[in-house]
Amino acid sequence: MDPVMMKILDSTMVSVCREMGITLMQTSYSTIFNEALDFTCAIANRDGDMIACAEFCPAQIGGMPLMAKSMVKEMPLDQFDEGDIVLHNDPYRGGLHTPEHTFFKPIFVNGEIRGFAVSIGHIAEVGGMVPGGFCGEATEIFHEGLRVPPVKIVSKGVHNKDIWRLLLANVRTPRYNYGDLRALISAVDLGERRMKEIYSKYGADVVDQTCNDLMDYSERRMRAEISQIPDGIYPFEDLVEDDGIEDRPYKISVEVHKTGDDIVADFSGSAKQAKGPINATLGVTLSATYNALLHMTDPSIPKNSGCFRPIRVVAPAGTIVNVNYPAPEVGGNTETHPRIAGTVIGALANVIPHLAMAAEGATHGNFVFGGVHAATKEFFACYDIEVVGWGGRSFADGNDACDSINGNCRVTPVEVFEVRYPWRVEDWVFREDSAGAGKFRSGVGYTKTLTCLNDEIIISQMTDRHKVAPWGLNGGLPGDKGATLFMLSGANEWLDASQAYGKISPSKYSNISIRKGDRVRLVMPAGGGFGDPKERDRESLREDVVEGYVSAKAAQDIYGL
Amino acid sequence: MKFSSNGLYVEEYVKCTNCGTLIYESDRPACVESTDKELFCSQWCVDWAAAREKRWKQNA
Ligand SMILES: [Zn+2]
Repeated sequence: MDPVMMKILDSTMVSVCREMGITLMQTSYSTIFNEALDFTCAIANRDGDMIACAEFCPAQIGGMPLMAKSMVKEMPLDQFDEGDIVLHNDPYRGGLHTPEHTFFKPIFVNGEIRGFAVSIGHIAEVGGMVPGGFCGEATEIFHEGLRVPPVKIVSKGVHNKDIWRLLLANVRTPRYNYGDLRALISAVDLGERRMKEIYSKYGADVVDQTCNDLMDYSERRMRAEISQIPDGIYPFEDLVEDDGIEDRPYKISVEVHKTGDDIVADFSGSAKQAKGPINATLGVTLSATYNALLHMTDPSIPKNSGCFRPIRVVAPAGTIVNVNYPAPEVGGNTETHPRIAGTVIGALANVIPHLAMAAEGATHGNFVFGGVHAATKEFFACYDIEVVGWGGRSFADGNDACDSINGNCRVTPVEVFEVRYPWRVEDWVFREDSAGAGKFRSGVGYTKTLTCLNDEIIISQMTDRHKVAPWGLNGGLPGDKGATLFMLSGANEWLDASQAYGKISPSKYSNISIRKGDRVRLVMPAGGGFGDPKERDRESLREDVVEGYVSAKAAQDIYGL
Repeated sequence: MKFSSNGLYVEEYVKCTNCGTLIYESDRPACVESTDKELFCSQWCVDWAAAREKRWKQNA
């Protein structure tokens, strides 16, 4: 092992992945890419192991290796030619959820495949039952858009127009989809080119050996971190509040087994899979477990498949953590992922509380909508990500209004949102007293109020945390829940989706028709607090009151000021 | 994974009884079939499932 070469190569490959991401950001059409950054880019070796990635969407980073491995199993390496590009989004073949489109481009050196450039991104409109992909009332995968098993969308550098025609005939916004998919292709084109330059500079055998050394190094670093945790079996449970179809909660139950330098996360006690779209695929559960452990270990460990070797996941088929075909699963990747990660963090908080975080808001809002824009006469569709308060930690408050831990995405700026879509943003306000109180409080939630400017906008949502509050740790209190409220034009009271539209769930619903002048208010949850609120630093508390995060009354009643 | 004879579609999504991982034909040599015909991806999964069942019975 040459540590200098390893460091140089790791940094160079991470830079390549970042450059791929910047290409995506600058060339994509949809706000979910160029504003929200719901994508990631990676380099994989020929076996499908991830050897480098950029710091974009963690859910996709952890899920990518399983997609790559299933792709390689269905499409053996000897079937690839230089210039091929494979597209894959199938949740039932290692994927995360239907919108997550993944491109693999083989990296050939001297006629031999050495690895793959990979880009993975959330396509906002995928066909199916609702504009925008998140159908809160889906009961089958077919309601959630077009599944694409691994297919060569480009063969030897020539685009397969038949596949393009098939893809673009099945979505509501073909022009945007084409732009976003081509952006993902540009990213793998760039990644392949850069990796070839690296292979040419250092030699193929040196690069491959160094990549293996790099994964071994990450594995050793991860094992050293895990070794610090006391051996034992640590259980934890949390709930997804409902599935959009039945009004009852679904349990996520984990036993984290720590032995030596290994961890097994066994989710066998979790609920049977739901009828509605809250189910996670195995890729999601793997990704969520990795995500939790990466949050609790040294952030300087290079992120590659070596990090994952000490971690085993047991996720029995037919449960909410490993859905069986053909059940729906779109919310598994956004809503159930942070619940799963939260149970792993909650379990380990028993023994390493200094590295744990109380529950975060753990939803992405997943407010999706579409319609024909009055100004352009073109169909628009949007996946709007909204963000949450993060949980308090042993050393700091939670982040205010920050994307849930599996997303790392940004909120689309109001100016862009209003130009692109026929809504007016009336307000966007941090919510006083929403934070879970604690020695270190959670981040705050917020409200955002939208007024419809189009004759009609069709909205759907696949969120959570309207009924089950985010838990606190070490004496910290639960944070405030979220809500989605409606005030129809001419009315004077706010109602939730159950009250206004007779939906089973206030947080998961499909195809509500919003008319000009109707208002929608998105109330985003906070997280849980960490430690006894009465131990909060008094100066920080006074600052909270001045900033309007904590009311004077709560400062007295809860924090004992 | 059981594919149709023409290879064009999946007839059955085959998963390990314990860990839930997808089992392709190429994975079969490493698999273990239990006495009651359940398929496991590895001996580790057979042992883990048995140990869990024993532990849960003891704790019940
Ligand atoms: Zn197994």
